[in-house]
Amino acid sequence: MTYLKPLPQIEPRNKEFWDGLAAGEFRVPKCDDCGHYNWVPYPACRSCLSENQTWTPVSRDATVWSFSLVHRGPGAFNDDVPYAVVLAKLAEEPRSCIVLGNTVGIDPNDLYIGMPLRIVFEEIPGEDVTVFRFAAADAAEPDDADAALNVENQPATVA
Amino acid sequence: MRYKFGSKCLISPAPLAGIERWKPVARPRQAAIAGVYTTKQGKLPDRTSFSLQLEAIKGALDDAGIPIEEVDGIIPMSMSDHLPGTTAHQFWANQLGERPLGLMEVGGASGALAKAALAIENGMCEVVVLFYGKAGSLVGPRGTAMPDRAPRVPDWSFYQSGAYMTTWYALWAQRYMHEFGVTHADLAEVAVFTRHHATLNPDSIMGRKGDITVEDVLNSRPICEPLNLLDCSLDNDGGYAIVMTSVERARSGKKEPVLVLGGAESTYTDFYVTINDPWFPEEGKAVRRATERAFGIAGIQHDDIDVAGLYDCFTITTIRDLEEMGFCKLGEGADYVKEGHCSLGGKMPTNTDGGLLSNSHAGDPAGMHTIEVVRQLRGECGERQVPGAKLGVSLQQGWAVHGMAGVLVMATE
Ligand SMILES: [Zn+2]
Repeated sequence: MTYLKPLPQIEPRNKEFWDGLAAGEFRVPKCDDCGHYNWVPYPACRSCLSENQTWTPVSRDATVWSFSLVHRGPGAFNDDVPYAVVLAKLAEEPRSCIVLGNTVGIDPNDLYIGMPLRIVFEEIPGEDVTVFRFAAADAAEPDDADAALNVENQPATVA
Repeated sequence: MRYKFGSKCLISPAPLAGIERWKPVARPRQAAIAGVYTTKQGKLPDRTSFSLQLEAIKGALDDAGIPIEEVDGIIPMSMSDHLPGTTAHQFWANQLGERPLGLMEVGGASGALAKAALAIENGMCEVVVLFYGKAGSLVGPRGTAMPDRAPRVPDWSFYQSGAYMTTWYALWAQRYMHEFGVTHADLAEVAVFTRHHATLNPDSIMGRKGDITVEDVLNSRPICEPLNLLDCSLDNDGGYAIVMTSVERARSGKKEPVLVLGGAESTYTDFYVTINDPWFPEEGKAVRRATERAFGIAGIQHDDIDVAGLYDCFTITTIRDLEEMGFCKLGEGADYVKEGHCSLGGKMPTNTDGGLLSNSHAGDPAGMHTIEVVRQLRGECGERQVPGAKLGVSLQQGWAVHGMAGVLVMATE
């Protein structure tokens, strides 16, 4: 089944991030001068305006900061409804990194604010992109992430 | 010269506390809204965005009694879809007769109008028209066709996750309800009072469907939980325009001028991409700043306001508007609504046309709240008229939920 959901335009300024996902890392620009992480990536650190930032793998630990169950989505998401969209707060401090994304392997009705999450990865067949999803923190880490997470390419449905 | 340029600036934005009662500040000259117009709102399959915009421009100028030749400032609220590579400003400058314009402003309606007022007050231009029109496309996902391969979108865009604007407001509502112990039934009160107002507005889209209850909102189908269908604004076609000029010029027009006492705008975030913790800080964000500046410039206090138009794209939005603007405390917006203050007959009737929830939302409805306040101050609102309304305020907001804001304070002469 062809993946029809929107995918990112990969460009020189963001390639490090998407390469990171393919390598099993969630990389966030970290300021070389003040040490703050910045999400979403901007050309300079929002805390001190330094342009010296380094793509740095984060712990992949996060918690649900807010969530919504989407019942009416854009065309390519119709088969998934209701699917969850979460704002997940990364463990990294002090500047908050709040990341929007879908879940995998979580019954949307089990979501609650504060629920521990872990960032996992999903390779998109036929495309040059690996994307990230949020799994429950206590979900078993699969031996073969690709095989486990490509379940029908329906990241938002109950796995 | 007909007026003196301000050699002495008496406008000093001050904190709200301790401001004297409503007393317009001295200024080089006074700006006023002279004309407003709304096209038919609803499904308009036979119209184009262009023709709605042109109808709105002509209609508002006719309402003002000012000929097109006097227009020397424009605030187009739509993108240009007419000539590739041409901005809306360039296109409309040419379309309106190739006359030199003195002001070409962008931004949300209340904030753009605040800047237009400053331009008029200081002699940069004479007659500004703000206009919008949209037909044939939808804002919500109903308008999204099924692609035949995965489309590519900007890197951090929410479209990758099947999110859209409603989803952002739902995330906002969920976090808000969590932090302040507010329920969905509390939010629903906003839909109930605005629908009632719509039933008194013969031009509103939903008024003919009659009143609704909190139960109706809770039982309407879920769109993005916790928001249900009746928590969401409409998604229709339509156009509108607003004409602003000096009060002297407005006085020789057709309608009673509505004075612009002051306004301000503020923005702090990008377009539905990032958000920071905390989402609801005590000190407020863009709406708070725009409100404090606007009220300070106008020299008003909250209790002076007779009628309000507060952005209501979703039920949660109005609740947060009231809190950020300082009409009540953080977490108490729903209580303010339940006490009846926003309803006709209450101390600050709000969204008396039915708002974006029950009157119309035609894509960028940023000027609609201002238009309804103008009509209230003119006494043109029939069954839904706020008796003796003399002072009104409009709030427009957008982007990543309260990410940008414009506030405009208006009064009768
Ligand atoms: Zn820094």
